[in-house]
Amino acid sequence: MENVVIQKNMNTPIKKMLRKFFNKKTAPFFLLAPTFLYYVIFWMSPIIISIKEVFTDLDGEFSLFGNFRFLFSQETFTPALINTALFATISVLLQYVLALGLAILLNRRFKGQKLLMFLVMIPMAITPTAVAIIWKTGLISSGWINSILNVLHLNNDLIPFLGLRGIDAVLLIVMIDTWTVLPSVIIILIAGLGNIPKETKEAALIFGAGKYRVLRDITLPQLKPAIITSVILRMIAAVQVWAIVVMVMGFTNVPFLVERITYYVGPVSGLPYARKLAFTYSFITALIVFTATMIYFKVTKKGSALDGGTQK
Amino acid sequence: MSKFNPIEKTIFALIMSAVVIAVLVPLMFFLANAFSNGTEIYEYPKTPFFSLTVTVKVDYLEESNEYQVLMKNKSGDYINTINSSSGLMLSTYFEQYFSVYRTGEELLSDFEITKTEGPQEFTYYKNMWHNFKMFFQITSNADNALKNSIVVVFYTIIISLTLGSMSGYAMARYRFKAKDQISVFLLIVRMFPVVGISIPLAVILIRFNLFDTMIGLAILYSLPNIALTSWITSSIFIGISRELEEASLVFGANSFQTFIKITLPMALPALAASSMYAFLTAWNDTISALILTNENPTLALAVYQAIGDNTTNLQYAAAGSIILIIPALVFTFVVRKYVNQMWGSVSL
Repeated sequence: MENVVIQKNMNTPIKKMLRKFFNKKTAPFFLLAPTFLYYVIFWMSPIIISIKEVFTDLDGEFSLFGNFRFLFSQETFTPALINTALFATISVLLQYVLALGLAILLNRRFKGQKLLMFLVMIPMAITPTAVAIIWKTGLISSGWINSILNVLHLNNDLIPFLGLRGIDAVLLIVMIDTWTVLPSVIIILIAGLGNIPKETKEAALIFGAGKYRVLRDITLPQLKPAIITSVILRMIAAVQVWAIVVMVMGFTNVPFLVERITYYVGPVSGLPYARKLAFTYSFITALIVFTATMIYFKVTKKGSALDGGTQK
Repeated sequence: MSKFNPIEKTIFALIMSAVVIAVLVPLMFFLANAFSNGTEIYEYPKTPFFSLTVTVKVDYLEESNEYQVLMKNKSGDYINTINSSSGLMLSTYFEQYFSVYRTGEELLSDFEITKTEGPQEFTYYKNMWHNFKMFFQITSNADNALKNSIVVVFYTIIISLTLGSMSGYAMARYRFKAKDQISVFLLIVRMFPVVGISIPLAVILIRFNLFDTMIGLAILYSLPNIALTSWITSSIFIGISRELEEASLVFGANSFQTFIKITLPMALPALAASSMYAFLTAWNDTISALILTNENPTLALAVYQAIGDNTTNLQYAAAGSIILIIPALVFTFVVRKYVNQMWGSVSL
């Protein structure tokens, strides 16, 4: 008994002190402080370091464009930029057309819908490294893609897919990327479709609109926010493609921006200029992504996503 | 919902079958590859099914006193493989090229019969784990890498869920200055390319003595995921009514009990979804692991390094990928039921 009393007595001043520090006004700052500190140390300072690296030369002297000039003089820079741009544009466009069609089809109720959804979702959960290997076993000249073509009598020669370069190679990578990314796009769109109130559609049908009219004038406009959000997210991810490229095509054969970064931190990391090039490439990539993010904010009117993007 | 007419129904069925084929065919061929033995992997055309057994035709060559081993391939033809009389050589060959584990003596005594009876066919069961065993053998410290992957996933989930849900709670429950700016900042962090951070982060991690450790790697993976978690959890906390918590306090629960018994269970879908994203970031990444580790790779990195850009022995690479795929697949589909609740409200 005595013990308890003592404890209570000891507790009160501490509790009071705690109340003083930890009240409604200060609580959010205590809750946010760890995250804030974390981002200052592990996010801001790396960015400062990288800006410093990009704007100094090998001897540590300041030079505004030195590293960029060196980067632009690299033979692989222009193709890397073009390939990345092509890839981002084509893959996002293709994936949206396909995903939109499939989402609308999958969204209606039919027999075996659950099983089908499950199957369609599988590629999404596969690690990019593994995706690259799945397709590499198909793309080698004695691989399964040539086998299928052969068995169906579509083509009896061995097509050397891995020897493709330039735009053909980019299209090949678009195909692989689409295979693995499509499910996640479909999910976003199906979620968006689920948020469209049924009543508007029914009303339109009652007033004599055809199915396709309803799709064009009711479903698509209401789906727009979901589409914009995910297009930007997809673009950002597409700019950073590299694992599939390197593992299927090898280094340097089909240059991409992030593929270049891995090249300079990986196989040739020993060379003195490699580090500078890697920094400059990642600076440029970050800049592109940052610009895309800013455009996204402009389009969606900042912050609304943090309130959950709720449609309530 | 309007009904389909028969023609539309057929088209619908065709499209859906095409989708299923497009998803399943690569996976089936991939599985077939992963369970192929060293001879089957070079066969052409390939089949989407793998065999459990290997059939060989053995002929006794009298003039050289050797056994001639011919392997029967899927189309029923025989391919000449090895001529030998040595049990050890046969046994090694059978293991390496047929994935058949059988000692030299066993093989020799099996083949004895061909001396008197002429050429015979033998069917052996393949050891289905051969490629997996070989993957761990040819990839130095692959088992260590597997352990590292699990550890880094664990750390990433812990860091992002703790910090993320704390800030998510603050964002949902309190009004304060600069809230909008903070939410925009979190989004920028979430979208900022991780590659851009990993190279300079290496400098900082070396200073903290965290380079080449799993904590160091988890710190990087948590960067986008803390932001994502606070984003997801705040949207859920907004939905959990304050009154419920207050009622629990009125009925005598202290604030800790309230949190554990009321708030946490209701926030579970958000936490499950966030931990799924944290899991996938940490488990799938290769590039940051390449930059931030030296002797302690993660499994994805080990698979990547084992394959590099060569095109031989892809069956081992395929086996390694299966080890990589299964946990991600299981985790995704276990958590999916919670995430489904999320997809309705959070557009990601």
